[in-house]
Amino acid sequence: MEPFSGVTVRQAGADDAVGGVQPRWVALPETVEEVSAVLRDCAERDLAVVPAGGGTKLHWGLPPERCDVLLDMCCMNAVLEHAAGDLVVRAQAGVTMDALAGVLAEKGQELALDPPFAEHTTVGGTLATAAAGPRSFRYGTARDLLIGITVVLPDGTIARSGGKVVKNVAGYDLGKLFTGSQGTLGVIAEATFRLHPLPAESRWVVAPLPSGDALARVTASQAEPSAVEIDCPGGAEGADATVAVLVEGSAAEARALELREVLGDGTITAERPEWWGLILRDDVLLELRFPPARALEALAAAGEAGFAFRGSAATGRAYLEGSEEELAAVTGLRARVEALGGRLHVLAAPETGVDRWGQVSGLPLMRRVKERFDPGRRMSPGRFVGGI
Amino acid sequence: MDPELINDCVHCGFCLPTCPTYVLWGEEMDSPRGRIHLMKQHVEGTPITPEMAGHFDACLGCMACVTACPSGVRYDRLIEQTRVAVERRHEREPQERAVRGIVFALFPYPRRLRLLRPTMWLAERMAPFLAKAHPSLGAMAALAPRVEHRQRLPRLVRARGGRRAVVGMLTGCVQGEFFPQVNAATARVLALEGCDVVIPPGQGCCGALSVHSGRDDQARRLARRTVRTFERAGVDTVVVNAAGCGSSMKEYGELLGREPGFRVVDLSEYLAELGPAAKRHPLPVTVAYHDACHLAHAQGVRAQPRELLRGIPGLEVREIPESAICCGSAGTYNMFQPQAARDLGDRKAAAVATTGAELLVSANPGCTMQIAAATRRAGSEIRVAHVAEVLDASLRGVRLSERSERPNKHGSVLTGPTEEGQ
Amino acid sequence: MLETLTAALRSLLPHDAVITDPVRLRTYECDGLTYHRATPGVVVLPDTAEQVARVVRVCNDFGVPFVARGSGTGLSGGALPREDGVLIVTSKMRRILEIDLANRRAVVEPGVTNLAITEAVRDRGHYYAPDPSSQQVCSIGGNVAENSGGAHCLKYGFTVNHVEACEIVTPDGDLVTLDRMDPGYDLLGAFIGSEGTLGIATKITVRLCRTPEAVTTVLAAFESIEQGGQAVSAIIGAGIVPAAIEMMDALAIEAAEAAVACAYPKGAGAVLIVELDGPSAEVERQFAQLEEICSDAFELRVAASAEERAAIWKGRKSAFAAVGRISPAYIVQDGVVPRTSLPGVLAAIDRLSEEHGIRVANVFHAGDGNLHPLVLFDDAEEGAGERAEVVSGAILDLCIENGGSITGEHGVGVDKSRYMPKMFSADDLDTMQLVRCAFDPRGLSNPGKVFPTPRLCGEVPGVRKGVHPLVESGKAEQF
Ligand SMILES: Cc1cc2nc3c(=O)[nH]c(=O)nc-3n(C[C@H](O)[C@H](O)[C@H](O)COP(=O)(O)OP(=O)(O)OC[C@H]3O[C@@H](n4cnc5c(N)ncnc54)[C@H](O)[C@@H]3O)c2cc1C
Ligand code: SF4
Ligand code: SF4
Repeated sequence: MEPFSGVTVRQAGADDAVGGVQPRWVALPETVEEVSAVLRDCAERDLAVVPAGGGTKLHWGLPPERCDVLLDMCCMNAVLEHAAGDLVVRAQAGVTMDALAGVLAEKGQELALDPPFAEHTTVGGTLATAAAGPRSFRYGTARDLLIGITVVLPDGTIARSGGKVVKNVAGYDLGKLFTGSQGTLGVIAEATFRLHPLPAESRWVVAPLPSGDALARVTASQAEPSAVEIDCPGGAEGADATVAVLVEGSAAEARALELREVLGDGTITAERPEWWGLILRDDVLLELRFPPARALEALAAAGEAGFAFRGSAATGRAYLEGSEEELAAVTGLRARVEALGGRLHVLAAPETGVDRWGQVSGLPLMRRVKERFDPGRRMSPGRFVGGI
Repeated sequence: MDPELINDCVHCGFCLPTCPTYVLWGEEMDSPRGRIHLMKQHVEGTPITPEMAGHFDACLGCMACVTACPSGVRYDRLIEQTRVAVERRHEREPQERAVRGIVFALFPYPRRLRLLRPTMWLAERMAPFLAKAHPSLGAMAALAPRVEHRQRLPRLVRARGGRRAVVGMLTGCVQGEFFPQVNAATARVLALEGCDVVIPPGQGCCGALSVHSGRDDQARRLARRTVRTFERAGVDTVVVNAAGCGSSMKEYGELLGREPGFRVVDLSEYLAELGPAAKRHPLPVTVAYHDACHLAHAQGVRAQPRELLRGIPGLEVREIPESAICCGSAGTYNMFQPQAARDLGDRKAAAVATTGAELLVSANPGCTMQIAAATRRAGSEIRVAHVAEVLDASLRGVRLSERSERPNKHGSVLTGPTEEGQ
Repeated sequence: MLETLTAALRSLLPHDAVITDPVRLRTYECDGLTYHRATPGVVVLPDTAEQVARVVRVCNDFGVPFVARGSGTGLSGGALPREDGVLIVTSKMRRILEIDLANRRAVVEPGVTNLAITEAVRDRGHYYAPDPSSQQVCSIGGNVAENSGGAHCLKYGFTVNHVEACEIVTPDGDLVTLDRMDPGYDLLGAFIGSEGTLGIATKITVRLCRTPEAVTTVLAAFESIEQGGQAVSAIIGAGIVPAAIEMMDALAIEAAEAAVACAYPKGAGAVLIVELDGPSAEVERQFAQLEEICSDAFELRVAASAEERAAIWKGRKSAFAAVGRISPAYIVQDGVVPRTSLPGVLAAIDRLSEEHGIRVANVFHAGDGNLHPLVLFDDAEEGAGERAEVVSGAILDLCIENGGSITGEHGVGVDKSRYMPKMFSADDLDTMQLVRCAFDPRGLSNPGKVFPTPRLCGEVPGVRKGVHPLVESGKAEQF
C-alpha cells in the first residue's frame, strides 16, 4: 500500500502509539521534498500528523487529539555540511546528537548543547522540545546556537529562515519560533548551528551542596564556570544533594582549584559525574524555572513535594523527577515556585487532568500563531500549551 | 548658516546623550541633531518660526555635542550663525525682549554691573517675588553672589623667584566684578610660578556673552576693544581664567577676520604647559572637579586642571558622574531659560553629591555658583572654589577655607606669597 | 482623519507629548539613514507603557499605522515614519526600573540607552554584553527591534541572547509579557529582531554579565588586508574564541585618524583588533598563542591600561561616523559572509571599487564575517551617487552568492526590503508573513518595512470591509 506519493510508508503498530493514540501509518521521508510531499497529501486528505525523532520524548506533552500519520525522521540522518573554518554545521533533523558530535569532534569542534538522551535524541527532537543541558549557562540553549532552519509547514510549504552565517538579522527568525514548538507548527527538516571549539580541558569540582551564598559566589566567579549543577535524588532537606561545577579551557585545573576554594570543599575530577545532564526517569517529569538566587529555596520546595531535582543553579532551570503519586503536589508546588518568581510545568505525565503549564501570559498570541501556521489543526493537535 | 557645515552632520545621534536639553526632555528638536535639522530646514527656505527659535534659544551652547561628534560637525559655529539669524529675523515676545534687553545692556559692561551689585544683594532676598513677576528675573536674583570688597589689581604683578615668562591677564566682566578673589588668586599663582603678569586697566567684556547670544555687532565691538588693549600692552600670551571668555577669545580670528597679535590660553592649560616650579604645600581635601563646558568642550581642556589639582599633595580628585553634561549655568542661560537651568543644576548637584567630596572645583565660577545654589535647594551645602584659588592656597601654604569662604581682607593682591600660616 | 486622531491622542496624553507643529515634526523625518525621509503625521512621546498601549489602541480605532522609534540611529530606515501615521517615540521612557545583581538581570524601559545599563552596574562588576558601536545613544528598545550586535558578539551573542523578557504592546494594543521562562512558543525570540513590525517593546529584562577577570586588547598592524585575514583564520583555527576580532583597512584607518587621532601604526594596510577576555589564566595562554599567530604583523600593541584599551577601540568605534571627515557622502553597507569567504569577497569588493571609480573603506567584524563596507562618494559629483548605489548593491549580491546575509546587524528596514526576495524564496517570505499576520492582522505596526510588497492578512477585521484598496490597485496581494 502506498498512500503517499513516492515516500516509504509502513502500517503503524501498537509501538507507534503517541500518548496512547495509534496512528494509521508511519511515513519515513528521506528528503525535505519528501516531507513536503507527505504533508501536502495529508493536507488534502485532512490527516493529522505527529513528527518524531528518536522517540525519546514522544510521550512528553498531552496525547494528540488525533494522529493519522507518524512522520518518522530517522532516515533524514545526514550531516550535510560541516564548515569547520566557519564553525558552522548543517544537518538533517534525524541526525542523532551523538552522531553529530562524532562528526564534529573529528575537527575538534562541538555543538555545545548537551541534551538528555544524546545517544538517541535527534537534532529535530532537541529543537522541538528545546531541551536544555548543563552548559546552557555558558553557551545558551538550542535556540541560541541555531542559526538557520528549514521547516515544512502543514500544507507542505518548505520555508527557510536564517542561513549559515552566525550573524544575520534578515527577516523573522522562524528558528526561534519552531524551537520548543513540540511539533505543533510544522516539521523541522534541517538545521544549521554555530559551533564551538572543543574545550582543551574539562574539570568538575564535585562537592556537597554548599550554602546559598557560596553557590552564588561560584556562579558569579570570574573563574567562569561553564555549568553549576545540583543533583538531589530525593529527600526533603536536600541533605544528599551534590553540586558539580564544570570548568572548561586550557587552564581548567587552576580555575577549578579557585572554585573549590569558594565551595570550601570538594574533589576535582576530569570525569563527569554519572548523573550529569541526565534524565533518569521520565514517567513524571517536570521542568522547574527559578531565579538563580532562589536556587536553594526552589530545591527545598521540590524536595518537600517529593521530587528528585537535577539541574542548573546558574540558569535557574531544573528537571524534577517523580512518580504518579507526586503529581497531586504539582499545584501546591507551582504556587510556591511562582511566589519565588519561578515557573513549573509538567513535561511528561500520565493523563490525569493536572494543569500542565500554569499561567502562560502570551497564550492568546500563541493561539493566533498556531491558527496561522496550522489552520486545520493537523500538526500534533492538542499536545502543547493550552491544548494548542 | 553655512549649508556645508550643516551637511557635515551624518545624523548618527552620537551627540544626543551629552546634550543637556535632550537629557532633560528627550525630544529630537531639543537635541543637537534636531537643531541642526532645524537649521537645515531654515536654510532650505523655512522661515524662523517661534517654535524653531525656541529650540535654538534652549541650546545652552555648552558644546558637549562638538566633543561627542565623530564627524567633526562645527556646531559651535553653526549655533553662533543661527543665533545671529534669530536675533535679526525673529521678532520676540515683548516681555522676553525686555529681559534680553536688560541683560545685554548690563552684563558686558563692568561699570554698569558694579552699580547693580548692591541691588543684587537685595535682589537675592527678593528672588521669590521677582520669580513670580518673571522667572528670568528670579533666576538673575538667585544667582547674584555676595560680593566681597572690590580689589584693585595692579597693572603689573612681578614674578616671584626667577622670571620665566611675561603674560597678559584678562580680568573679565562678570569675573572681575563678582569674583575678584579669583582674579587675585590667578595673578598670584602666575607670579609664583615665575610670570610677570600684565593686567591692562580698563579692560571690558571680551564679547563672549554677546557672541553666545547672537549679538554679533556688539560682540565684534567688544572683541576689537579687547584685542586693542592687549596688543597695546605688548604681551604675546594672554591668560584667561574664565572658561567662557577663553573659548570666545580663541575664536577672535574668525570673529574679526584677523588673528590678534597674541595667543589666548586658559590658566590651567598655561600652567600645565609651563610646568610646576613653585613648591606645593599639602591641602588635605577631597575635590570634585567639574568640567566647565566652555573649558572642556569648547577648548578641549580636561586633563590639565585635573593634573594641576592632583599635583597638590594630600588633595584627592573625584570624578563626577555624567561629567560631560552641562550644569545649566552656561552664560546667560540662567536668565533666559530659568526652568531648564534649574533642572540641570539639580541634576548636576545630585551627581556631585554622589562623589561625597568636600569641595567643588571648576574653572568657571558661574558653574560652581549654579551647582552650589542647586545643592542648597536640595537642603545641603558644598564649598566651592576656582582652580586658581586652590592652587593659590597650596602655593602659599595657607588654608583653603580662608580663601574660598572669606574675602581677602587686606585687599592687596600680593600680601600672601609667603610661607605664612603653615 | 489625522485631525480627529490627534484630538483623540491629546485627550489621552499630556499636552506636550503630542507634537503636531510641522517644523518639529520634520526633525523626525528620518533615522540614521537619511536617504529615506517622510514627515510623520503626528509624533507622540509617551511616558509609560500604558500610554503606549492607549496610543496603539487609538491607532487601531482609526485604522492608522504607527511606527516605533527609539533614538533614531537605525541604519536601515526602520524608524522611517508614515506620513499618514503616528510615530511613537520612546525617548522619554528611559528609567532603569530594577537592577537585580543576584539574578544578574536588569529591568529597563525601552528608551534607556544600551550603554546606560552597563554604566549603572559597572562599578559592581557587571556589564551588559551586546555592544553596538552606537551604544552610547541607541535605545535598548531599538536594540531589541534590530537584534543588535556589536564587536563583542562573537563570543557573547546578540541582543536576542541577552534578553530574558519583554513587555510588549501588541499591534492591537494589548500589554503582554513574553518571558523566556514561560512555556509555549518562543514568541520572545520571534519578536526580537522583528524591527517594530510585531509590536512595541515597553519594558525589557536583560541579562547582565560578570565583568571578566582579565581583558587583553591587542592591536596588530599588517601590511595588507590579506595578511590580516589569514591571522583571523589562524586564530579561529587555533580554537580561540576571542571576545572580539575587528578589522579596518587603510581607508577606514585614515578616517578614524582624522576624527579621533587614534594613532594607529603608520602605513598599515589593515589593523586587527583582537580582544581576549575571561579568567586571567586562560587569557594569558591565549595571548601567548595569539602573539605567535600574529607574527606577520609589523606592529603589535597590547593595551596595558583601561585608557589604552579605550584608545584602541576609539578608532574602531567612531569609524562609521568618522568617514564623514574624508568623504562628503557615503553609504554604510552591512552584509555577512561565511568567515572563510572573507578574502575572496574583499578582493571582489576591491574590483567593484576600481570598476566604478568609487572608494570603499572596509570596517568589519572579522570574527563573524560581518562586513561594513563604507561606500564613499561626492554627492556634488554628477552620477556619483548612482554609482555608489550600484557598488553598494553589488556587495550585497556578493554576500548572497557566498551564502551569507544581506544584513548582520542593521536590519532590513525600508532600505533592504527589495533584497529580501534575493535571499529568501517567496515561500520563505510567505511563511514569515504568517507570523506577521498572527501578531498584526491589520498590518498597522510599522508597515512597509522588512518585507518587499505590502501584504494583507486573510480577513481584515474591524473597519475595513470588502476588497482592500491596495489589492484593488494591484499594490498588494491578498495573503
Ligand atoms: C554610527 C552608528 C553605528 C552603529 N553601529 C551598530 C553596531 O555596531 N551594531 C548594530 O547592531 N547596530 C549599529 N547601528 C545601528 C543602530 O544603532 C541599531 O540598529 C540600534 O539598535 C537602533 O536603536 P535606536 O534606538 O536608534 O532605534 P531606532 O533607529 O529609533 O529604531 C530602529 C528600529 O527599531 C524599532 N523600534 C524602536 N524602538 C522600539 C521599541 N521600543 N519596540 C519595538 N520596536 C522599536 C523602530 O521601529 C525601527 O524599526 C549603528 C548606527 C550608527 C548610526
Ligand atoms: S551646545 Fe549643548 S545644549 Fe546646545 S545642542 Fe550642543 S549639547 Fe545641546
Ligand atoms: S554626532 Fe555629529 S554627525 Fe552625529 S548627529 Fe550629532 S552633530 Fe550630527
